[in-house]
Amino acid sequence: MRKFFPVDDLARDERFNKVTMRDRMRDPRTALTSDTDSSGKRTSNFRLTPERRDASDGARGLMHGIFVGEIQALEGAGRTCWDFETGTEAPFALKLDMARQCWDEARHVEISVKLSDWMGSEIGQYAENTVLFEAACSTDPVLRLAGVNRALEGLAIDVFTTMKEFGNLAGDPYLEFCEDWMLADEVTHVKMGSDWLRKITENDPERRKKALEFQSVVDKLFSYGGTRSDSHESPIGLARRFRELAGFTDDEVEVIADVSMQALNERKEAVAKMLAAAEQFADSSANA
Amino acid sequence: MAISVTPQIFNYVSFDSGLIASIATELVESLGMNEYNVTITVDETTPLARTTYNLDDGINIFSDSGAFEDTRKPRQQSELATATSLGRVLLRARDRLVGGFGEAPPDKELSLAQVAAWETYSMGRLERLGVLVNQQRWRYNFRNRHGFTDAADAAFEAIFNSDGLTWGELDSISSTASMQT
Repeated sequence: MRKFFPVDDLARDERFNKVTMRDRMRDPRTALTSDTDSSGKRTSNFRLTPERRDASDGARGLMHGIFVGEIQALEGAGRTCWDFETGTEAPFALKLDMARQCWDEARHVEISVKLSDWMGSEIGQYAENTVLFEAACSTDPVLRLAGVNRALEGLAIDVFTTMKEFGNLAGDPYLEFCEDWMLADEVTHVKMGSDWLRKITENDPERRKKALEFQSVVDKLFSYGGTRSDSHESPIGLARRFRELAGFTDDEVEVIADVSMQALNERKEAVAKMLAAAEQFADSSANA
Repeated sequence: MAISVTPQIFNYVSFDSGLIASIATELVESLGMNEYNVTITVDETTPLARTTYNLDDGINIFSDSGAFEDTRKPRQQSELATATSLGRVLLRARDRLVGGFGEAPPDKELSLAQVAAWETYSMGRLERLGVLVNQQRWRYNFRNRHGFTDAADAAFEAIFNSDGLTWGELDSISSTASMQT
């Protein structure tokens, strides 16, 4: 069996349609996904709650994103068990943790399929963004742990917390409890990443620095367009308490909060620029 | 009957204005609304999926591009999504034009539960017209607005399987279900 599996070769049946982060960034509409007033200011609370008019479809879309994310997390943790030599490249105990994570992720995939069914979605109904697995393709197991377990699974903590609250507010017991159970697993996955990152790089500050930089890049990618931040303008909130339980220090949470806010502000600036350009175009057309 | 689509050529998305017009024509004929002119304006700059309408001199529909989009293939058009989005607003417009919905508040003043009830009523009728409908999607939406209860499920079934409801009847089923949460 070959090592270091490229993202393009992930096995999917005909129900799935994969898109990359590059595809997503090429969509000129992406920067305009907000309600804006005439001055380009965002006018709404965009947190995914039942009060949103599009709440049901928003929750269904996010649930499908969780489902494909679980598949890719399973694939990523599985690859980490196989891609590195035991002892020389990765400790046996680390691989054992990854094997345990595979078990959790496989269970999460099954739960997600059932929840999607409950919410009226079909497998493959939404495009699959493969950015999660891309973060799991690093050739350094420490970078992989930083990208997958700390950034990716950290995002999962934020997403599951948002969905759990959504289920609670909507009075949907299945959604609330399923998300709560999966959230508990994700906290342990992040903790594994935090613990192994510190342990393996204990005497290698350069490698640790590189891993944390990689994590920061992945965190920003996952915050693309301001999807996740402390602001209520983002659909997904930053779950500070659960991140703390998962082994993030206060400083580390602040860094993620800053990166996320930066992504949100960049998006808002892009929206304002595009609206200004559109107005200029409209004015020049009217004067022509 | 005249149907017009704006824009004719899309730049942000790969939509076909001719296809939108032909789907709308088929729906308008199936719904017996031939005497009305319909304009459809698509905002292709946003991937959101809102569809609204007004009845100023015909039926004027305003859709975000996400309403007609294939969620499997971003920026590509889905015939089913187009039919579902147009069918929902055309049915709502027909309800208001034909009668029995005179007491219905303007769309902007409808509560989330009322919107969900009316959507359910429209989707049931669209399914009987031959449009493919995932009932569970609309049941989930109805439950989010009326509670995850047996009473809400019974109300959903009653509305989904009905034809010829008045606003008063629809609103009564909806509010009775909400009260039992």
